[in-house]
Amino acid sequence: MSEHPPDPPKNVLPELIIPGLALIFAIYYLTTITEVPWIAQASAVLVSGLLLLSIFAFAIRTAYRLNAGTELISWRGLIPDRILLLKRIVLLCLMIAYVWFLEDLGFTLSTFFFLVLAIMLLSSLANWKKAVGIALAASVIGYIVFIFVFETRFPKGPIERTIEELRDGN
Amino acid sequence: MEIDLSVLPSLFVETLGYWWVIIPATVLGIVVGAIPGFSAANTIIILLPLTLSMSAEAGMIFMVAIYTASRLGAGIPAILVNIPGTAGAAATPLDGYPMATSGRGQQALAISFTASVFGGLLTTLMALILIPWLSQVAFHLHSVEMIVVMLFGISLIATISADDTLKGLIAGLFGLMIGYIGADVVYEAPRGTFGFLELYDKVPLIPALVGLFAISEAFVVIERRVVLTENVDSIKVAAGWSATFEGIRETLARWKHVVWTGMLGLVVGVIPGAGAAIASFVAYQQSRIFSKTPELYGTGHIEGLIAPESANNGVTSGTLIPLLIIGVPGGATAAIMAVVLEYHGVQFGPDLFESNPLVGYGPFVAMAITYVLLGLLILPLTRYFSNVLVVPTIYIAPIIIAFTLVGSFVPRAYVFDMGVAIIFGIIGYIARKTGYHVAAILIGVILGPLLENFFLRALRISQGDLTTLFSSNIGNVLWVLLLASLFAGPLKRKLAGR
Repeated sequence: MSEHPPDPPKNVLPELIIPGLALIFAIYYLTTITEVPWIAQASAVLVSGLLLLSIFAFAIRTAYRLNAGTELISWRGLIPDRILLLKRIVLLCLMIAYVWFLEDLGFTLSTFFFLVLAIMLLSSLANWKKAVGIALAASVIGYIVFIFVFETRFPKGPIERTIEELRDGN
Repeated sequence: MEIDLSVLPSLFVETLGYWWVIIPATVLGIVVGAIPGFSAANTIIILLPLTLSMSAEAGMIFMVAIYTASRLGAGIPAILVNIPGTAGAAATPLDGYPMATSGRGQQALAISFTASVFGGLLTTLMALILIPWLSQVAFHLHSVEMIVVMLFGISLIATISADDTLKGLIAGLFGLMIGYIGADVVYEAPRGTFGFLELYDKVPLIPALVGLFAISEAFVVIERRVVLTENVDSIKVAAGWSATFEGIRETLARWKHVVWTGMLGLVVGVIPGAGAAIASFVAYQQSRIFSKTPELYGTGHIEGLIAPESANNGVTSGTLIPLLIIGVPGGATAAIMAVVLEYHGVQFGPDLFESNPLVGYGPFVAMAITYVLLGLLILPLTRYFSNVLVVPTIYIAPIIIAFTLVGSFVPRAYVFDMGVAIIFGIIGYIARKTGYHVAAILIGVILGPLLENFFLRALRISQGDLTTLFSSNIGNVLWVLLLASLFAGPLKRKLAGR
């Protein structure tokens, strides 16, 4: 009977990010409650204690598996697709820009620009006409449904204000 | 509380008055359910601005109709192309796909829809009848018991739905800590706010759920060119009405099977974190164990298709029961509904059924109506559903991001909240890619402030005596169950390894 070769060790470096964030946040949180009476600290101390205990158990387990050779911590091969990572970072920047300009440009205009740029980014600039068409359709439908019909509290810019003025007959 | 079921007929009439919400939500739910990766949760999040602008009753009915219909729609790609639309349909392809590949795709869809409609309708009516009695349990849960119930809920999510208990616990407890952010309710001291005034009134829940679910999902989805497949023609089903009628007949002939697997789903659905995926596999396994022809399972066996579909629709009503009775969401979609209803000022608990019966009983009434509507709508349209399976991600991901980001702005009109959504999006993306459960984080964020309030109340009543946490019999039983749930899994694995 042939034996299967052992599985290669799994890189667990990415799996340490969430416990790391949780650890930093729990410690930071505890530093902000030192001034309140203990009765108000108790639940946070209990939950952060349980969280730190879980992270500690996770660290012990990881150390054990590293020692056993079933897991490893390495920077190598951490980013399998650099182009996709770059796209994701640019998309994140576009999101920040979208949030930044939303109050000045309003929902319709900023959504249109965001969608054109995001679709072109994800399609590697392949089809700008389709990007413009879909962005236009989505922002117009969004305007009609959310702002015109349901009057939700979406940020208003030059387009929304102009239409409002036209509608009110000013 | 006096239990009065005479209110139900008038509730049905009142809920039917929301037909303008139910019909579009049902159609939308079927379509999104059929798109793998595009869950009911995400659809509800995208449409948050709309839901928040409705009344609490209309918003609840809208969300429930989407949720119910999407559960049913998820069986379409599971049967036709072996890719479940949602995790709840994960056991459906086991027998559904072999049926489709042997030229019985249309019949398999009809079986899946009939089992879903009858299983779902039956369990919904059962939940509707039982919930006034089940809600009495909540009267026995005081601050101490509620603390243990909430920690138990988090531990169940960690042990049942997460692949790795430790990771599930870290995610849930991290969520609880995030939920503790804000000014102290009694002493008004800011805690964990990073100096932001906008966080004094705790972490805004809608941006948190937009980030954790929608934005992180959009980041994941762009890794694939299309959500499902570009090969549309090969998956289209061409069959006549006879196959549909045959599917309905075959399912109705096995009505007992539909009933007990649906009930199994209802029971599993009540357990926080268990959800439709577990229910469908449990039902499939049990169905196989009790079958006279277990060897046929996996080859396109009708009972193997009925079991998971009936069970995962049973979960739909089960998952709402703990939310409405004690305010603990049973799963991700229930957590999202909790956020929306909290925005409308709805207080969960047994009093809800008296103070606002349309919100208390309404979800189940709306579900029952949706199932009837689905029965009428989906069977004639079965042949056309395969067309909705192909969605290019390059268009869908930016649309999800744009609409959900603005959705996070709507409740408080703070641009800050959109930033919060982006940060939660990054946390959610990392969590998804590294095997941490985003629903556990969200449920933690929701339960954090509640847990803190109960904790503070229990300590003030007992004048600061920490042993009060172990002063109640119900609480002590729950502590034991909590510890058992945490250690049973690893212990079982260790024993199995010997």
